[in-house]
Amino acid sequence: MHTLDKLIQTLVKILVFVGGVALVVMICLTCANIFFRLVWFPIRGTFEFMGYFGAVVTAFALAYTEVKKGHIAVDVVVSGFSRKTRKYLQVVNSFVYFLFFATAAWHIAGKASNLRKTGEVTETLQVIYYPFTYAVALGFGVLALVLLVNAVKSLSPEKEHST
Amino acid sequence: MSLALVGIIGIVVLLLILFFLGMPVGFAMALVGFLGFCYVISLQAGLNMVSSVLWETLAKYGLTVIPLFIFMGQIAFYSGVNEKLYKAAYRCVGHIRGGIAMATILACAAFAAICGSNAATAATMTTVALPEMNKFNYNRKLSTGAIACGSTLGVVIPPSVVLIIIGLSTEQSIAKLFYGGIGAGVLLAFFLMLTVYVVCRINPSWGPVGPRTTFLEKIKSLSGAFEMVLLFFLVMLGLYFGFFTPTEAGAVGSLFAVLIGVFQRSLSWKGFISSVTDTLRVSCMVIMIVAGAMIFGRFLAITRIPFDIATWVVSLPIPNIGILLIIVFIYIVGGAVMDALALLLITIPIFFPVAMELGYDPIWFGVTITVVTTLGAVTPPVGATTYVVGGMAKDVPLKDVFTGVTYFLPAYILCILILMMFPGLVTFLPGLLQ
Repeated sequence: MHTLDKLIQTLVKILVFVGGVALVVMICLTCANIFFRLVWFPIRGTFEFMGYFGAVVTAFALAYTEVKKGHIAVDVVVSGFSRKTRKYLQVVNSFVYFLFFATAAWHIAGKASNLRKTGEVTETLQVIYYPFTYAVALGFGVLALVLLVNAVKSLSPEKEHST
Repeated sequence: MSLALVGIIGIVVLLLILFFLGMPVGFAMALVGFLGFCYVISLQAGLNMVSSVLWETLAKYGLTVIPLFIFMGQIAFYSGVNEKLYKAAYRCVGHIRGGIAMATILACAAFAAICGSNAATAATMTTVALPEMNKFNYNRKLSTGAIACGSTLGVVIPPSVVLIIIGLSTEQSIAKLFYGGIGAGVLLAFFLMLTVYVVCRINPSWGPVGPRTTFLEKIKSLSGAFEMVLLFFLVMLGLYFGFFTPTEAGAVGSLFAVLIGVFQRSLSWKGFISSVTDTLRVSCMVIMIVAGAMIFGRFLAITRIPFDIATWVVSLPIPNIGILLIIVFIYIVGGAVMDALALLLITIPIFFPVAMELGYDPIWFGVTITVVTTLGAVTPPVGATTYVVGGMAKDVPLKDVFTGVTYFLPAYILCILILMMFPGLVTFLPGLLQ
């Protein structure tokens, strides 16, 4: 479990780095498009690629946001529960969402495979875009792994002390 | 079982999961929407729907506006813009009774024009403004209440993530919502400052007079805020003249904010990296709630619940204003127990069709419910902004911060009532965009 945890942490860092680069690329691409629109002609495909880079930004931040407990939850009632109950709830929640997002990742990857097989291309630039769909599947897959590790960690008392 | 009943059960199950299991809002909406869709149609249809919605939502061009505006706000935050804005406001109004608290609200309003985050505004304003108010022996309830409430202006004054989300989920123009938010935000800021004035008139010792400044000092301090004013006008005028799409405005604003930070040497490399990682985290949180709401919305749509509720509500023997007041009441109560963004995304598919059936202006409705839900950011038990201020102002008990906030509640109510009585305050500027 410790090795898996380390591996996931490294993976999360890599994804955050790539997501950050995608964010910067989005800003540069949009500003360049405005500039070229003014002086010459707009950069073709900006709109579609903005969407795909946006998908990378969100998908690659999914696991990081979960690690940072950044997803909003309504804890008005739950905060009144005992520590033990909250711990069990966390295990159940993490496990349910592990199943949900692992399935979603699998299906999105299947969708990406279909796009690859059918040779689907973007409307304007006529280039393949399935790598972005795979990237989104990867983001959800890593999120599922983080949730699984969270569930197992919550069940392990000695780990709880160390964290 | 009728589809309407399935829809109602879905909503009840969602609320139970949210409150009693403490699941993240976006995840819970996605799960309940998926299960409901599977129940009504089939498991395979549910799986296909979830994978399609997740991919399409994440890759939607319209949603790229979210990380860009969040990034702009984060860059401004890490560049220490708050401090400059506060100093400018302080020099202008600090010399009158309660003036430093008013300056805090003014600075919050100004920062809100660049950053749409309540928490970020509350955190920096507590660091910057609270020591100054303590120095002049301001009453702690008044000072912390002013910071907490002033910070809520972030979601009303554009650019605001909440207004962007309303625009995307109701298919209304984001630019119009931004312009609608200006009138409401200015009005709310005015009433918050008026509250400080009234409280200090009743209790003069609560807001002692600050130091006088010369006209030259006032002008000099304004120069510190000049770049941010320029940034705000760049974004808003670009939208006004149709020069930018909202996404482009976010990108240009971000680039401009980075350049200001770099040239003024106020943005460090560490600050830039923190801006990027914070942007990823916050925008991911927001977009996952949107994605969850989309999945839940698909389920609600097949049950036809939103349309049935809209038709039913309109047929009730209650005047339109009565129905609107009920909706506002639900948003006040809902905002008190749930994050504003989550509440809006859950309820908009239900209440927006109702408001349209009743003949209300969509921009006015969007802006007004945004103001209503900001109340929830300061009221218990959720009151996220109040907790941020309470958490950072170590020497002030949380109870006092909440008490301080209560002085400002009439300002919110008054603002909401005025917006309801004079919708033109919201719709005038967006009307010019046509």
